[in-house]
Amino acid sequence: MPRVTIAQNILAPNETIAAEIRQTLAARQMRALNIMSSPGAGKTTLLERTIERLRDQLIIGVIEGDIETSADAERIEAAGAATVQINTRGTCHLEAHMIRDALAEIDLTRLDLLVIENIGNLVCPAAWQLGEDLRVVVMSITEGDDKPAKYPHMFAVAQVLILNKLDLLPHVDYDLARVKRQVLAINPHLRIFEMSCRTGTGLDAWCEWLIEFARGNGSDHGKGW
Amino acid sequence: MHELAIAQSIVEVVEQRASECRAARVKCVRLQVGEASGIVADSLQFSFTMLADLSPILAGARLTIASTPHRAHCRQCAREFAVQHFVPQCPTCATWSAEIVSGTELQILDMEIERSEEVVRVSRCPE
Repeated sequence: MPRVTIAQNILAPNETIAAEIRQTLAARQMRALNIMSSPGAGKTTLLERTIERLRDQLIIGVIEGDIETSADAERIEAAGAATVQINTRGTCHLEAHMIRDALAEIDLTRLDLLVIENIGNLVCPAAWQLGEDLRVVVMSITEGDDKPAKYPHMFAVAQVLILNKLDLLPHVDYDLARVKRQVLAINPHLRIFEMSCRTGTGLDAWCEWLIEFARGNGSDHGKGW
Repeated sequence: MHELAIAQSIVEVVEQRASECRAARVKCVRLQVGEASGIVADSLQFSFTMLADLSPILAGARLTIASTPHRAHCRQCAREFAVQHFVPQCPTCATWSAEIVSGTELQILDMEIERSEEVVRVSRCPE
């Protein structure tokens, strides 16, 4: 029986589109973030607070990924950013072709920074490149301090970790030092921001860093794809 | 859960190649999957079987998955080691200066096909 060589990366079709997106954005000197987390970790709230704080400094466009509803896109619009909603109708992650289609609906000439909010899921989005320059994982302390060890892939491919809901630290059994040890063991280059989007703690440091990132500064973001 | 999406990609790639090769049937598809690729082999098998059965050319095809270990090379010690639980720390010198050398693969290696009598004489598939 004939054996036919294929020798193809299964994700190659996705990665080809991601590379095209990266080129499109690079041609406009625009950078993009891919924000990932479990459901309920605070991605949308982080975006709302960030957009509000940076209103006079950065024009941010958002691609909002959800399985169903446009509730998050409405929140982001209300915070003041141009938003495109993607509903995946069941797919547990965003793929590059969805971003390509969404970009057709965004006027990139008006933007300083593109943010992609991925589907709430700490597993699958880690495998799909979307043409982003940087991957940000948001983890809330109410998820428990064992998550980096249990979901290492996500932390291995990210460059930034935001530890959110720190205002709840007195109320939960959460060993912050243990979490930092775990994530830095998996990915020693990970940049960590400790934050409470509810109280505002830590948002200034993040926003200052984000402005520099959007301006194209700080090229060393750890491991790339 | 994304194994279903991965299986869909495999089916699309294999169907395309099978058509280029004028295959009557695909009997077996071989994959190389790294242990750090985030893919669960059983789940991928299940998804593949489900999708393959919907495809006339792929129905009943076997999926063979070869796993590659997660390994890294320590620049300091100039040697390779097995990465445990995604932690790329050299067990000898304890540094984190290692480069991953295997374990992230997600590749379709090849496929076994049956051709109809007429096209069996085609010795090579178009590359």
